[in-house]
Amino acid sequence: MIKSKINTVEAIMVVLIISLTPSILSLPKNLIDTTRSSILINIIYVTIIAVAIAILIYKLLKNFSSSDIIDVSEYLGGKYFKSIIGTIFIIYFLVSSSWFLRNFCECLKIVYYPMTSVVFIIFAFIITTCLSSKLGFSTAAKVNIIVLPLLIFSVLFIFFANIRNFSFENIFPILGEGVFNTFVTGLGNLGAFTGIVILYFLPPFLKRPEDMKKITITTTIIAGIYLLFCVSIILFMFRFLLNVDEVMPLYYTTRYIEFGDFFQRLESFFLFIWILVIASFITINIRLSMEIMKKITNIQNVNSLVYSFGLIIFAISIFPKDYAVSKFLESTIYSYWTFGVSFALGIGILILANFKKRRSNHLPKQKEVLETND
Amino acid sequence: MTSFLKKFFIVIAIIIFLIAFSASYKSSNIGNLALVVAMGIDVSDTNKLNITFQFTNASSVSETGSSEKTEPTLFSIDAPSINSAINLMNTNIGKEVNLSHCKLIVFSEALASRGIQEEIFTLSNNPDIRPSTNIVVSKCTAKTYMKNSKPTLENLITKYYEVFVNSSEFTGYNSNATIGDFFYSMTCDACEPYAILGGISTQDSSSLSNSSSPKDSILESNFKPASGQNISENTGLAVFKGVTLVGELNEIENLCFMIVDNKVDGFLISIPNPNSRESISFIDIYMTPVLSTKIDAKIVNGSPFITINCNFSGRVYSMDENLNYSDSNALSQLSNSCSSYLESILSDYLYKTSKDFNSDINKLGKYIRKNFSTEGEYKDYNWSDKYKETFFDVNVDTSIKSSFLLTRT
Repeated sequence: MIKSKINTVEAIMVVLIISLTPSILSLPKNLIDTTRSSILINIIYVTIIAVAIAILIYKLLKNFSSSDIIDVSEYLGGKYFKSIIGTIFIIYFLVSSSWFLRNFCECLKIVYYPMTSVVFIIFAFIITTCLSSKLGFSTAAKVNIIVLPLLIFSVLFIFFANIRNFSFENIFPILGEGVFNTFVTGLGNLGAFTGIVILYFLPPFLKRPEDMKKITITTTIIAGIYLLFCVSIILFMFRFLLNVDEVMPLYYTTRYIEFGDFFQRLESFFLFIWILVIASFITINIRLSMEIMKKITNIQNVNSLVYSFGLIIFAISIFPKDYAVSKFLESTIYSYWTFGVSFALGIGILILANFKKRRSNHLPKQKEVLETND
Repeated sequence: MTSFLKKFFIVIAIIIFLIAFSASYKSSNIGNLALVVAMGIDVSDTNKLNITFQFTNASSVSETGSSEKTEPTLFSIDAPSINSAINLMNTNIGKEVNLSHCKLIVFSEALASRGIQEEIFTLSNNPDIRPSTNIVVSKCTAKTYMKNSKPTLENLITKYYEVFVNSSEFTGYNSNATIGDFFYSMTCDACEPYAILGGISTQDSSSLSNSSSPKDSILESNFKPASGQNISENTGLAVFKGVTLVGELNEIENLCFMIVDNKVDGFLISIPNPNSRESISFIDIYMTPVLSTKIDAKIVNGSPFITINCNFSGRVYSMDENLNYSDSNALSQLSNSCSSYLESILSDYLYKTSKDFNSDINKLGKYIRKNFSTEGEYKDYNWSDKYKETFFDVNVDTSIKSSFLLTRT
C-alpha cells in the first residue's frame, strides 16, 4: 500500500517530466535526423500512434484496478518474474537518469565550469537529488508542479523570442527523406514518448484512479505538442543543424535571443531552469526505483536506499570515458532501450496478463456448463 | 553520533565543492581576464595567421556607467591557428584572453579570398563567441582596419562596434552580418555566406566610373566620400561562395540585398526625373516597404525561375521652385519611374549574384525547395551550382504619396 498518493495534476506533471526532459539535450536533433524536413508530419503521426498506445495501456491496466506493472507481473509469472521485471525497470530508470545527468553536466562544464572536473558537477546533482528523494514521492511530485511549467515556458519563450529568425520555408521538401523514412523508419521517434513508461506505475499512486484515462491522453497529447515546438525551433531556425551536431541544440538557439541592447545573454536563465528540471527528473526516477524496490523486496523503509541509488547513478554517469560515448548512449542506445522497456516489455506483460485473466475467468464458466450438461 | 556524522559529511562536502569549483571561478574572474573587443585575422609573411587582438581596459568604465574615452590597445601575434594565438597571447599578457565581449571579427581580403572555413568553424566552436558578433572583410589588412576604427560619437569602442551597423535598417547601405549567420550559411545547402565590407579611405570617390546610376551611391569601403575623424568605412557587402570570397557589392547593391532579404525599414534613392524640364534632374525619394518582399520560385525547363514582388510607398525629399507634388498625375508618373528604376537595379543585382558570383546570399534556395518532394531530389538538383542558371522576374509596385512639408512651390 502506497502512503503518499498524488492528485491528477501532479500525476500529469510526473509523466510529463519524464517525457519532456530529454528534449533539453539532443532529443530534438535525434528526431530530426531520421526524417529531416518532414519532422513535423512525423511528430503528428507518432503522436497519434503514441496516444493509441497510451489508451491501449490504459485499457490493459484497467482490468487490474489499482495494480501497477509489478503487481501484474506477479500475477502473470509469480514472485521471481516480478523480481526480474522490477529489476529491469529499476535499471531502466537509473541508467536513463545517469546518461542524461552525464550529458547535461558535460554541457554545464563546457559553458560555465571549464576548469572543474565533470565528476564534481555530477556529484553536486547526486547530493541534491538524494536529499530531495528522501522527502518522498508526493513531495517530489509537488515540487515538480513548479518545475515542469518552467520547462514548458522556457521552450515556448525560445520559440516566440526566436520567431523573427525563423524561415518557415524550411519545412520543404515536405516529405523529407521520403515516405518510408517519415512513416516507417520514423516510427522510431516513438521513443520520444518516454513518459509512457510511468503510466505502468501510476495507478497505485493516484488519489483518483478513475482519472487514469484523462492522465494518459492529456500527457501524451501535451508531450506531442511540446515536441512539435522543440523540433520547429530547430527546423525553422537552423536548417544547418541537420548537418552539424550541437551539444545542446535548444541551448544553441537561446544564444540568439536578444531584445535590443539591454536584454542579451539570456541563456543563463534557461540553463538555470534546466538544472532544476534535470534535478526534478532524477528525483522522480530515484523515487520510482525505490518504490519498485520496495515492492520486489518487501522492505518497509526504503529511504535508506536513497544513497545507494544515488551512488549507482553517480557510478554509471562517470562510466563513459568521454562525451562521445555518453552522447552515443543517450542519443542512440536510449531510444532502443526505451522502445524495448516502455513498449515491448510493458505492453507484452499487460497483454499476456490480460489473456491469463480472461482465461481464468472463462474456465470456471466452462466447468459450470459441463457440469450442468452432465 | 549520527548528528555528528551528518555535520562531518556536510563540512567535507562543502570543502570538496569549494576546492573543485574554485578553479573555474578563478578562471572566469574578471580580474584574471583580458577582454577582447575585436579580433583581426590576417595572413602573415610566413603564411601563418597574424592575429590582432583589440583589448579594452575594463577599469575605464566607472561604476556609474559613464566612462572616460580611453584608447583601446592592439596586440598582434603570428601563430598557426587562432587558438595557438590566444594561447601565446595569454602567456604574453599574463591574463586569460576572453572572447565573450568580442563584438567584431575582421578578416583581411587576402585571407578571405583564400578561404576561412577553419577559422569560422573554430570560432563557432568557442562558447565565448556570441553568434551576434559582427564579421567584416577588410579591403586593407585587418590590423590597419582595427587601428583606424575609432569611435567618434561614442565613448566606448565596444559600443561603437555594437551600433555601427544600426544604420543598415534605414539606409540599406551596410548589413548586419554576424558570425552566427555566416556559420549557418556556410553549412546550409540553400544559401551562401556574406560579410560586411570594411576598409579605410585610400582612394578618391571621384575616380569611380562605370556607374549604373549617376546619382545613387556605388561606393565600396575603400572609397571615402565623407571626411572626419573616423577613417574606417563599413559599407557594401563581401560575397562568399562556400568559404571563399568571390566578390563585393557596392552600397546600392547592398540595398538591393536588404530589400530582397526584407531587412530594410526605409531607404533613400535618387531616381532620374521623369519630367526633365523640371529644374532638378534627379529626385530623392524616401521609400518604405508596404508589404514584405514576396518571393516565389519555380523550375521551368530545368532552370530555376524566381519571381520577386516588392511593394513600396514613398515620399519625395527633393524640392525646388515650380514643383507640384499635389498633382496625382505627377505622382503617378513619378511612381512608375521609381518602380522601373528599382526593378532595374534589383534585376542587375540578382543577375550579378547569380551570373558573376554564383552565390545565393539571399537564401533563395529555400524557396526552390518546395518544388521537390524529398531531400534526395533536392540534393540531386544541386542548387548551389544551379543558381547561376536562375532567371529572375522582378516586379516593383511603388506608390509615391506626396512630398513632406511642402507639396507645391
